[in-house]
Amino acid sequence: MLLRYITRRTLIGFVQLFCLVIAVFFLIRLLPADPVSRLVGLNSSPEAYEQAARQLGLHRSLFDQLGIYLGLNPEIAQGLLQGSLGTSWATGSSVGSEITTFLPVTLQLITLAFILAFVISIPVGMLGALNPGKAADKGIFVYSLFAGSQPEFWWGLLFVYVFYFQLGWAPAPLGQLSPMTFPPEPVTGFMLIDTLIAGEPAKFFEALHHLMMPVITLAFILSGPIIKMVRQNMVRALQSDFVLYANLIGLPGKRVARYALRAAMGPSMTLIGILYGFMLSGAVLVESVFSLGGIGQYAIRSVLAFDYPAIQGVVLVITAISLIVYLALDLIHAAIDPRIAY
Amino acid sequence: MKSIMSITTSALCALSIAGAASAQEILILAEDVPAGLNYDGPTAAIPSSQQGMVTLLEPLVGYADGEVSDGVTLPDFNTFEGRLAESWEFDEASLTWTFKLREGVTGCGGATFNADDVIYTFQRAKSVSGAAPIGWFLSNVASIHGFGPEVFGDDASAKELGDSIVKIDDYTVQIKQGEPNALLLPVLTIFGLLIFDKETMEANATDSDPWSHDYVNNTNAPGFGAYCLESWAKNEQITYSSFEGYYRGAPDATRVSVRRVPQSSNRLVVLRSGQADLVTGLTPREFNSIAEVDGVTVAGITGNENLFIHMNFDVAPFDNVNLRKAISHAIPYDQIIATGYFGQATKWEGHVPSTYPGFTASAGFSYDPEIAKTLLAEAGYPDGAGLEVFADAFALSYVAEKESTLGPIVNVIQTALRDVGIPATLNPIPQTQYGDRQLVKRDLPFAVNDQEKPIGVDAGYAVQLFFVSPEKGGLNNMVNYRNDELDTMWSGARVEPDNATRDATLAKIQDMLAADVVWLPVVEYRTQWAFSDKITGLKWYPDNSIRYSDLQIDE
Repeated sequence: MLLRYITRRTLIGFVQLFCLVIAVFFLIRLLPADPVSRLVGLNSSPEAYEQAARQLGLHRSLFDQLGIYLGLNPEIAQGLLQGSLGTSWATGSSVGSEITTFLPVTLQLITLAFILAFVISIPVGMLGALNPGKAADKGIFVYSLFAGSQPEFWWGLLFVYVFYFQLGWAPAPLGQLSPMTFPPEPVTGFMLIDTLIAGEPAKFFEALHHLMMPVITLAFILSGPIIKMVRQNMVRALQSDFVLYANLIGLPGKRVARYALRAAMGPSMTLIGILYGFMLSGAVLVESVFSLGGIGQYAIRSVLAFDYPAIQGVVLVITAISLIVYLALDLIHAAIDPRIAY
Repeated sequence: MKSIMSITTSALCALSIAGAASAQEILILAEDVPAGLNYDGPTAAIPSSQQGMVTLLEPLVGYADGEVSDGVTLPDFNTFEGRLAESWEFDEASLTWTFKLREGVTGCGGATFNADDVIYTFQRAKSVSGAAPIGWFLSNVASIHGFGPEVFGDDASAKELGDSIVKIDDYTVQIKQGEPNALLLPVLTIFGLLIFDKETMEANATDSDPWSHDYVNNTNAPGFGAYCLESWAKNEQITYSSFEGYYRGAPDATRVSVRRVPQSSNRLVVLRSGQADLVTGLTPREFNSIAEVDGVTVAGITGNENLFIHMNFDVAPFDNVNLRKAISHAIPYDQIIATGYFGQATKWEGHVPSTYPGFTASAGFSYDPEIAKTLLAEAGYPDGAGLEVFADAFALSYVAEKESTLGPIVNVIQTALRDVGIPATLNPIPQTQYGDRQLVKRDLPFAVNDQEKPIGVDAGYAVQLFFVSPEKGGLNNMVNYRNDELDTMWSGARVEPDNATRDATLAKIQDMLAADVVWLPVVEYRTQWAFSDKITGLKWYPDNSIRYSDLQIDE
């Protein structure tokens, strides 16, 4: 039953991705600029312009371009059907290899940030819910409102100033490793994993140290809405009939709280899933502040350069990951909530 | 608990310090690292990519050192020096340049430089096989024989060098021009004609890419420069190690790491902490804020960076010369210098960078709102009455990505124009859209522009680049200015062999540009760098890229 559900969702995901590919292909061509101009620069003679347009394949009809992108004309260029996302117009590199470089940076950053935010938010949210109206609850309410309403780049810059420049606790915001450290040979693209694979624990700790501030910054921001969600759902769960019954029959408080938490986790997980999908590109400001070349920065650069293949590639990959995350969440939801069956 | 905190803090500090560059290694923080190293490739117009090219490749000729200003050595634009070419002769009768090449020059890959590398480089340029054929463009600008638009056609023979560039022997090359043109030596100094190491390039060619564009776009630019590429992660970091066999002497900085740090405030903070040695691309406010900081030097020169107001002759009411003049008197130049550049700029008095040979100070526009109002009335718009129908035209465009620098300036301009009755509004647009409308569509009505730097150091080149009609050989006449008299004068100056006569004609042309307010020159701003006190020897080049081999590092 579960396998059939996963298969059905995967097939629907492919249909969604295909529709998205077509929509994005045409929508980005409505952007108000001609990408050829960026190439020709001052040398914008008609001959040079035509040469550049030919290089980008823009001399072909729109449907021919779509066919090539989809991989229907592999004799001209490899396309999606051949597993190629094309070549970046801004750098001349393969879009697939660029995404493979940038995406793990963001996944590593936001996954660690979510784990940290989750670890902080669950006990804090529970504490607020178990002590409604008391000082702790009020303090937690103020914190969650405060954390969730602040721009992350501002906190990032402030943390850099205080913890790097003033206190010297954090490393310079110069990326995943010190500029003078040779990175390990990329295997997975995830710096923490690659340093371990390479058997270089010193670089592992250095990478962890460099991730400290961006992860804390992001976790600080993310913890606001998650705490609020956990607290509210816990309060609702604590007022539900099954909890009242559990209290009446004299079950220990800890066990009752565990039951309530399980009921509260469903909606909270949904929020975390939505936030995770959003953060794939939404972490761009934190990436920028800490000079982490992540997928968000790649997306922004691609849009500003009107780099159509890169934009298409980023949208496709982020959507695919979001669909996978949503599917995983549904499965986790089912595991948490016995009422859900497939 | 206290001791645990102390240990943790010490460990963290140790880790932080581990990142600092050692004495002969320098760390540079920049807005970006090269996105490509191919001057005929898609990233040729990006300054960070040009920086990578000039670090790895060498030109045939360069400029001699000139005066030193604010600790920065300026080039002497009137004196050329050999680089990979040792000497040269010019035969006026046959318009042929004979270059004697330097012997004993080797590259990082072990190849020895000779005439084949020069022939390869020009043959590659003429193949126009890259996305943006800059090598061909510069050769065309210098009137090298056979480098006309016909190379873009289907005739394969048009892409052959023929007798335009000939190898005489292993260390002698002849370049023939199609007509007299003073720009040959200047264009040979530019990044778009730097010499490749043929041996390594061909070793990395493929059947589908015989000119190794993919290799140079993504892997390395093999040449005979002072540095070898050590590692390169696009969008992140590039590291060069010095080439001990560099023909001009091994550089002082043995290893140069350039790190991409998008936030200018972070570049500044890290420099102040002592962990970085040099930073580029700060805003004028940030440069100003660290000018007095101990251990940090801020140096700058007036080179070729400027800001002007662009008014399109094809868009009403900018076809009205009195309106253009009115605007020229409505701009508070001194206020822009003070608030936009913190004093690190001077009023621009011409249409050509004032440091270039042939510059004439012809554009003496002054800030006088009363004169502006009088001229506005003479233009047919007393107190701005009637201009409201041109609301779209008065949307002052500027590059949105430069908001932190241009934002204060465009606000000053908007306020000043409104004060005299001109209904200006602000229109920030992305760089690519700005470039498209400026360079290709040429339909930007009204804009602020701070990014035009003629890299060919010559007033005639600047005039051809910006002010000659496209049908008469103009290259980027973004304001659609057409003046038959100017076109004729420029055609004469272009092939004029006598420098004094040529300069006199170019001076008259600059006077005409000022009379018609073709551009409204506002300021020339200083190109600035901030660096550690241990660095000296900085030199300025017209492409505004640093040559790391110039830098001296104090122990």
